[in-house]
Amino acid sequence: MQRIWRATLVAVIALALAACTNAGASSGGSGPDEKIKIGTLLDVTSWDPAQADIGFDGPYLSAVYDPLVALDKDSHPIPALATSWTYSPDHLTLTMRLRSGVTFSDGQPFDATAAVHNLQHLKAGVRSGQTYANVSAVRQVNRNAIAIHLKKKDDALLYSMGLGRSWMASPAAIKAKALSTRPAGSGPYTYDTGKSTPGSSYVFTRKPGHWDRKTYPFGTVSVFPIADPTASFNAMLSGQLDVAYANAADIPHAKRNGWNVASKVATWVGIQFTDRMGKRLKPLGDIRVRQAINHAFDGAAILKSVGQGAGVATNQVFPAGDPAYDASLNDQYAFDMDKAKQLMADAGYPDGFRVTMPMSSIFQPWQPAVQQILGQLGIKVTWKNLSPADYQKNAATYPMFVAVVALDSNAAASVDGRIASRQWFNPNPSTEAFPELHKLLGTIGATSGQKQIAQIRRLNAEVTNQAWQDVWYQANNTYFSNKGIKVTPLTGMMFPTLRFIQRG
Amino acid sequence: MIRFTLRRLLSGAILLVVVTSASFFLAHLAIGDPTAGLLGDSATPAQRAALRQQLGLNRPLLEQFWDWLSHAVRGDFGTSWRNFQPVSDQISLRVPVTLSIVVAATLLAAVVGLIVGIATGLRPSGILARVLKLASVVLFALPGFWVSLMLVMAFAIKLQWFPAVGYVPLTHSASGWLRSITLPSIALALGAIVMIAEQLRNGFLEVNNQDFVRTLRARGLSARRVTLHVLRNASPAALTVLAIMFVGLLGGAIVVEIIFNLPGIGSLTQSASQIGDIPVLLGLTVVTVVFVVVVNFLLDLVLGWVNPKVREK
Repeated sequence: MQRIWRATLVAVIALALAACTNAGASSGGSGPDEKIKIGTLLDVTSWDPAQADIGFDGPYLSAVYDPLVALDKDSHPIPALATSWTYSPDHLTLTMRLRSGVTFSDGQPFDATAAVHNLQHLKAGVRSGQTYANVSAVRQVNRNAIAIHLKKKDDALLYSMGLGRSWMASPAAIKAKALSTRPAGSGPYTYDTGKSTPGSSYVFTRKPGHWDRKTYPFGTVSVFPIADPTASFNAMLSGQLDVAYANAADIPHAKRNGWNVASKVATWVGIQFTDRMGKRLKPLGDIRVRQAINHAFDGAAILKSVGQGAGVATNQVFPAGDPAYDASLNDQYAFDMDKAKQLMADAGYPDGFRVTMPMSSIFQPWQPAVQQILGQLGIKVTWKNLSPADYQKNAATYPMFVAVVALDSNAAASVDGRIASRQWFNPNPSTEAFPELHKLLGTIGATSGQKQIAQIRRLNAEVTNQAWQDVWYQANNTYFSNKGIKVTPLTGMMFPTLRFIQRG
Repeated sequence: MIRFTLRRLLSGAILLVVVTSASFFLAHLAIGDPTAGLLGDSATPAQRAALRQQLGLNRPLLEQFWDWLSHAVRGDFGTSWRNFQPVSDQISLRVPVTLSIVVAATLLAAVVGLIVGIATGLRPSGILARVLKLASVVLFALPGFWVSLMLVMAFAIKLQWFPAVGYVPLTHSASGWLRSITLPSIALALGAIVMIAEQLRNGFLEVNNQDFVRTLRARGLSARRVTLHVLRNASPAALTVLAIMFVGLLGGAIVVEIIFNLPGIGSLTQSASQIGDIPVLLGLTVVTVVFVVVVNFLLDLVLGWVNPKVREK
């Protein structure tokens, strides 16, 4: 009996020693030449491009799929599986020439038939469908060309396709509904199921002879979904990651460690008005009340105290640096409580009014500031507590609510997604009730290029004049990387696709 | 013994049906329409309506319940509303992760708790007994996440003996698996060790003073054999605590899974709750209830084996 105990003890100690001996080998940081380990915030939503989430699925899907259209670092559409494209003079037909000689991982060829099948699948997708809302039909022109027919001019289509809505999958896998569990694409890497642990790590090995090999310098890419920022930071410290989605509070620590820090604005933070007509809450129908609320909040101070200074204090929904962004508008609602109170008095609300606003755990960091500042204007807030899931569902049913809304790095996409079209946070745009704004939207739809950008800048000014919402600041997404690895963030992508993670 | 087993199985089955049925209605009541959470901030009302239709949420709730129940009894928990993958596939991927750390933590707690419990029971005024008393206060006062973070700082970041995050399946690498579950298991086990040792020590002291122990000693039995008799009589309370701890650790694993980024059922529960993925939540409820029923059943069997009086009751 004692012998058995001793043998068991020896075996356990040997296993433990082996485990500790291996610790350095596999948990240490890997060199940039061959392997890269990337920590992102969320697990892959789905391998089916029609079901995938555009925000955090980028690193996973860009490993195994090629897009029709990609984006460059300035968010301009660039060729990928579509080698070139032209619009018809009326901008209602987009003709794309396709790359030849590309095959999917299951051996199926990529051609016009496959592209048409994919675009129809994406148009029907519950998550991808909105990108193709203006598409009436997709047709094969010849073996290497397709035509996308539009119901109306859509200046955001190519950008949205490049953002992550044009990944091409094997038509056979789409028909077999096999993509929800396993990818079948023509991308630069092969998903190594043997080395991967779903939910914990996804390993991709580079395909030899991929048409865009130079864009993907790493032989093996491992992607780790790590939801907890502390765990992600610890993984960087222990050498388990080369790139991490980061918390801005850790930036000083990252700099002390000699890591690269890359940041870019990703969301706007502030108060969204959903009742600009004053139908449910009469005061909000008065522009002076909305302007008063804009004057009352010190966006820069909230950015510093709550947002850890990681972002840009601005009152605009066009990302800082965007052609439609106008720095001169930022002073329009400079913090001025006296002016805010005067505007409230002018509007006939010197003693404020009562409002019910939703609240959930995610938005609690801003709650004290909102309570206090609106209180100074006499606006008494009754908070209705909701779960995070319910918040997104119900917040817009209240006349105003604290909002964090994703930004787009394409001016036309911002106009459509943040101002003109119905969204969960903007269920009733009512643009027709604002004649100047409505007229500008019509002009924007009828122009293109620099003329269109000029009109969008005018729209931005008009939206700001109308105090369309109360933006306090634009918040950054931040990424840490080891020396020798460069991450180029892109507004619109919550985590960059692999083409934006390079040596350097 | 057969009647005892059948009775236990029947009560387990009833518990399973009651808990999962209640969970179904409570989840639908609490979450309501999950489409906004599922589709993200760019979803239009039309897209949400299409998803509601696709998920069958427009049907009467009783019809949805019957549909779910009739599939669930065949082991089909439906598909996740988030990624449209079969729920049973997702749970089967995650159960081994949570079981790895919970079983390892339970074994660790049992072995160390047993040794410390016996040692302190034999010498109730010794140094080890005093250390145990202090440790029981300290370890209960320290939050689990803090203990986990300290373990990470010391053994993953400073010494780099173990990984800070991640899980390696046993089928990929035995040493990698052991390395990936060591720190989480220790973090989970620390509190349980103290609790089991305390229970065993108290039981040991109580039994040690009973008449039959004095008789055993008077008959000239060796100290080792007397200790074994005492242990057998003192262990039921510790075994009950161990079983309760196992169930508790299943629930408590969520914090450890988040800190060590382990893809277990705890982290799946958290993510499914956040977006209102009811099929996944219900599947997890069934699995957890099954664990509770099985562990309690095994506990009854072991207690019956250790102490036949339990079986008679």
